[in-house]
Amino acid sequence: MSEVILKAEGLSKTYTLNKRKIPALSGVNLQVNKGEFVAIMGPSGSGKTTLLNVLGCLDKPTSGKMVLDQVDVAKLPDKQLCNIRRNKIGFIFQTFNLLPYLNAAENVELPMECTRKSKTERREKARKLLELVGLGGREEHRPQRLSAGEQQRVAIARALANDPAIILADEPTGNLDTKNKYEIVRLLANLNINRGTTIIMVTHDSQLASHTERMLLLQDGRITKEKQGLHLVRKKLMCPHCGSKIQPEDERCPNCRKRL
Amino acid sequence: MRALLVIVALGFSLAIMVSIPAGIRANQDAAQSMTTSFNSTMTTMQEQINKTATLIECQTSGQGMFPGGSSGFPFGGSQQQQTYVEESVANGIRTISGVKDVVEFLTASSNETTSETISGPEGRSFTISRPVYTITGVTLNSSFIDDYSILPTNITAGRNLREGDSGVVLLSSNLTAYFGVVVGGKVEIYGKSFTVVGVYDASGQGSMGTRSAYMNITDAQTATGLTGNLTRLDVYAEDVSDVDSIAEAIGVAYTSLQVTTYKDRLSQLDNMQTMYTQTLTNAQATLSQTETVATQEIMIAVVATCLIVLFVMLYTVRERTKEIGTLKAIGFSNWNVMSQFMLEGMLLSLVAGVVGIAIGTVGAPLLSGILLPQISSAFGSRGNSQFTPGTSNAGNFGSFGVLGASTVTVTPSLQTMMIAIGAAVLLGALGSLYPAWRASRTRPAEAMRYE
Repeated sequence: MSEVILKAEGLSKTYTLNKRKIPALSGVNLQVNKGEFVAIMGPSGSGKTTLLNVLGCLDKPTSGKMVLDQVDVAKLPDKQLCNIRRNKIGFIFQTFNLLPYLNAAENVELPMECTRKSKTERREKARKLLELVGLGGREEHRPQRLSAGEQQRVAIARALANDPAIILADEPTGNLDTKNKYEIVRLLANLNINRGTTIIMVTHDSQLASHTERMLLLQDGRITKEKQGLHLVRKKLMCPHCGSKIQPEDERCPNCRKRL
Repeated sequence: MRALLVIVALGFSLAIMVSIPAGIRANQDAAQSMTTSFNSTMTTMQEQINKTATLIECQTSGQGMFPGGSSGFPFGGSQQQQTYVEESVANGIRTISGVKDVVEFLTASSNETTSETISGPEGRSFTISRPVYTITGVTLNSSFIDDYSILPTNITAGRNLREGDSGVVLLSSNLTAYFGVVVGGKVEIYGKSFTVVGVYDASGQGSMGTRSAYMNITDAQTATGLTGNLTRLDVYAEDVSDVDSIAEAIGVAYTSLQVTTYKDRLSQLDNMQTMYTQTLTNAQATLSQTETVATQEIMIAVVATCLIVLFVMLYTVRERTKEIGTLKAIGFSNWNVMSQFMLEGMLLSLVAGVVGIAIGTVGAPLLSGILLPQISSAFGSRGNSQFTPGTSNAGNFGSFGVLGASTVTVTPSLQTMMIAIGAAVLLGALGSLYPAWRASRTRPAEAMRYE
């Protein structure tokens, strides 16, 4: 059995707006194993972003228990939460959230700013990560000189900077065209396969979600459905149609020519 | 673009801080030099007037045309019959109560005359005829020489006359050529031989320098054959209050003497002193008033700087809420975020400080002129003026004129600049404290939602 990296039990979050209590999450139970690629789906207002914020320690749950990489984070004070965010979590945002006045490499270095790494180490790491996401040689470019897809790649490289235990992506393809959408998802999938990075991706696009390993449906603050995704077969390197061996990069089964 | 405007605005605020202390210091310096100048003037005047206020000049007719003894022009003498008084008159005057000293003089002019062309005012020149030399015999008493202006003071060669001198003369510089002698040489005056002990500069009166020889009064009397005769008596009263009564007594007892007093000089001094004191007081009042204004203005500038930084940074923080959220999401601690914004505020005001110093250095005179309007009126015209005390003796009171009215120069010192830079950074830190704190307290989840 693989190692549990994230475990949430009865996670609830209630917002108070004008003295009215609005429940955003009402008892979410969730378990993510190391190396999993999970999609959280749901209609708007179902609490997807809230869940991701709570999972990402950006927000504290009103009640419930949450263990991230063996650390019980639900009760941690703010000071330690920022350490958790820095070292265990990598964020990817819908709007990329790169700092416009920093170049690609500097944006990737940003999470390492607060660590003990030396300047040269950071630089080297940023260069490697940018190469990993396919932006080798674009280190000096400012975000405004990069396309939307490229910007998101920089953001992905930034999320990987401190080798986090888990990557949380909030609608990472929401601002991208179809071509870039699939490229980004494929990039995430490859990271998951090649580096074993655990990824939780929030999306309302079921097509994209189907490229993950496991899909969770969030409705009214609860997880109501769970489904296997196509990504699993790639991981098992076996064609779901004929059972023959496939390569992770294959678009179609080399044996039965069916689309994977 | 916005940063530029902010920096210029801050720069002006800081320029005020730079230029106002400079302006104030310039004014303090001006006031200081003015006070020093006034004081030395007053002291010099006091000394002179104290010497002459108690003086009662008594002259025989024939000399009266040019009162003022040694510095008077003796060429008028020949037109009028010279009369003399006996030495006993001096003794008589000494018995009048309140008389301190009586200095006796005998002045006589040579019969030989010389023609000189002098250039008068407005380019006119005229020729005059005057005696070749005039001798002045003086009672050579060391206390008289020290206390009263009885001998010329501007000796250019040799020495001055002193007590006990006999058979020696002090020549005016223009007579050395006439006699063809230098110090130590012999001259013949009224048929008698004298040794030249010193030469004094007589050019003080322009081309009309006196042609005078000073000597012991007995020598003069012997040479001229006027033994026991005097032409002038300088009577010194014990106190200024005695001057009037003494002068009256002399006038009644010796009708042949023309009596002149200089007591009214005292009231002149008083008037002048009052005037100067008034000016000084005004200047001091203006200065302290200016200082008050300056303090207020600097405080306003300090507050303004703080507020500018505060609002700019608040705006920046608000505008960059999303960025703050991102930074916090990727692991920046509250402290990291706060120091980031503090640094930014300090950097902003540091740059503004440099700009401020540039503006301040260039515009200090203008700025302090605008902000401290009293400066130029109070000091600009008199700031560095000098009061030249009169240098002549009893006859000439000198000119206490106001010379050279230069303006106060306002230059910020290096020290002021360093302080201003320090203040800028400090105020930047102070002003960005609250915005940075606000930024650090932003909840990341809310910041992310902010558009």
